[in-house]
Amino acid sequence: MSDDPYSAAVRELFLNTVHGGDLPDAVVVDVAGAGMQLRLAARHIDGRLEALRFRAYACPHVIAACEAFCRGWEGRRVADLGRFAATDIIGDLSVPVEKTGRILVLEDAVRALGRNIGGAATE
Amino acid sequence: MPPEMLYLDYAASTPVEADVAALMLDCRTRAFANPSSNHLAGRQSRALVETAQSQLGALLNVDPRTLIWTSGATESDNLAIIGAAHYRAHRGKHVVTMPTEHKAVTDAFHQLEKEGFEVTWLTPDSQGQLRCETLAAALRPDSQLASIMFVNNETGVIQDIEALGTVCREHDVLFHVDAAQAVGKVPVDLQALPVDLLSLTAHKFYGPKGIGALYIADRPGCHVEPLLFGGGQQRRLRPGTLPVELIAGLGLAAEIAAKRLHADFDKLVKLRSALWSGIEAIDGLIVNGDLDGGFPGILNVSVDGVEGESLLLALEPLCVATGSACNSQSQEPSYVLRALGRGDDLAQSSIRFSMGRPTTAEDVESAAQRYCAAVTRLRALAPSATA
Repeated sequence: MSDDPYSAAVRELFLNTVHGGDLPDAVVVDVAGAGMQLRLAARHIDGRLEALRFRAYACPHVIAACEAFCRGWEGRRVADLGRFAATDIIGDLSVPVEKTGRILVLEDAVRALGRNIGGAATE
Repeated sequence: MPPEMLYLDYAASTPVEADVAALMLDCRTRAFANPSSNHLAGRQSRALVETAQSQLGALLNVDPRTLIWTSGATESDNLAIIGAAHYRAHRGKHVVTMPTEHKAVTDAFHQLEKEGFEVTWLTPDSQGQLRCETLAAALRPDSQLASIMFVNNETGVIQDIEALGTVCREHDVLFHVDAAQAVGKVPVDLQALPVDLLSLTAHKFYGPKGIGALYIADRPGCHVEPLLFGGGQQRRLRPGTLPVELIAGLGLAAEIAAKRLHADFDKLVKLRSALWSGIEAIDGLIVNGDLDGGFPGILNVSVDGVEGESLLLALEPLCVATGSACNSQSQEPSYVLRALGRGDDLAQSSIRFSMGRPTTAEDVESAAQRYCAAVTRLRALAPSATA
């Protein structure tokens, strides 16, 4: 359909979220900005992300981006969270330029999550 | 329309009635001649235009000669507001309207401001109604024009046109009414209503897009200066070759609307009631408008805790309008709802359901179920839902 503001990837991720919600015993990060609120939750074992969840009051692109992050990062190394780049998701989901600032908020949240997990592991 | 879509956006536009479409097709091939031509073919086209003028005149209960064809309500609004203000500028340069009017009206008033006119923006009550005393208090000796819409396109609120028009007459102020959402849907009797200028468009009442009309009352002091210049058509007020097939389509749509007006209205009352019953249990649901007295074809609601653009996508394939910034041409949440005191979040989460002739009870039941499910899902996803 012409002028569809959402790519097929955004539609699929938005309509089929399976990572929405909370995790018991998880490290949690809350961020707000650009008219939206995000919460990321991660549970980790032996330096790996065992489970990820998110909550979002946000537009479809951000919800899709959160779901994409959770799907793509479960099982990966906690230490790699600092390398998460919003540009990858922006490209994969064909996020329009006026929405890219919102995906950068997600990037901030992911990196804060990595720092918080590191801090929790140290304690 | 693809069969999987559920269209509840009839305030935005309506489908052309089958009989109207057939007539227009016939006109396209049979009555293509310029109605200004004096030969046989031209007279044939002219007869179709005159028939349409009579059909629209009958719907509005006016002399057909008081009607000017335009390209739609936006042009009618501009011609009425700017044309009347220019015509009466020697008497004074004060004009009044409301911030909850359609952009075709508010932007015309902004243009007048640029030209040196003084505009008073009247504040409606929390439901969108303009009180007569508010209008009367704003009018001054140099006031020349007031423009108030009949049915609000976002909320369905119906203004008391008779009372407001009476106030204008008492102050010798021209009264323009944007009736794009009213004509063909609610009774509009221009013999009974103190209205000087009235705008309408065909595609809101099952006629074609690209054709509308402006009523100009035949009374002293009521006139407009043209915005277009060219041929001498339509008393030079709106020159240009008349689009016969569109005009004929508007005329037949008006005739059909006149016959179906009360049956359509009664059906919409039942549909809106059913839709409301299906969603009213949602916690924190807010009606934008007047559930009891407004136009029954429109139900506009907001909910907190739900982001508007996501709500709209979650509602697909339901086709409705939203106050969300990201999916409208505008980059701002609904200025109409903000003018009624709604915050940005509530304005952005607003959904306007608008029903029409083809809408069925099953349609509104399905829409209600889809709306409830979408709100529940998005609220559950929001951070505020955390225990």
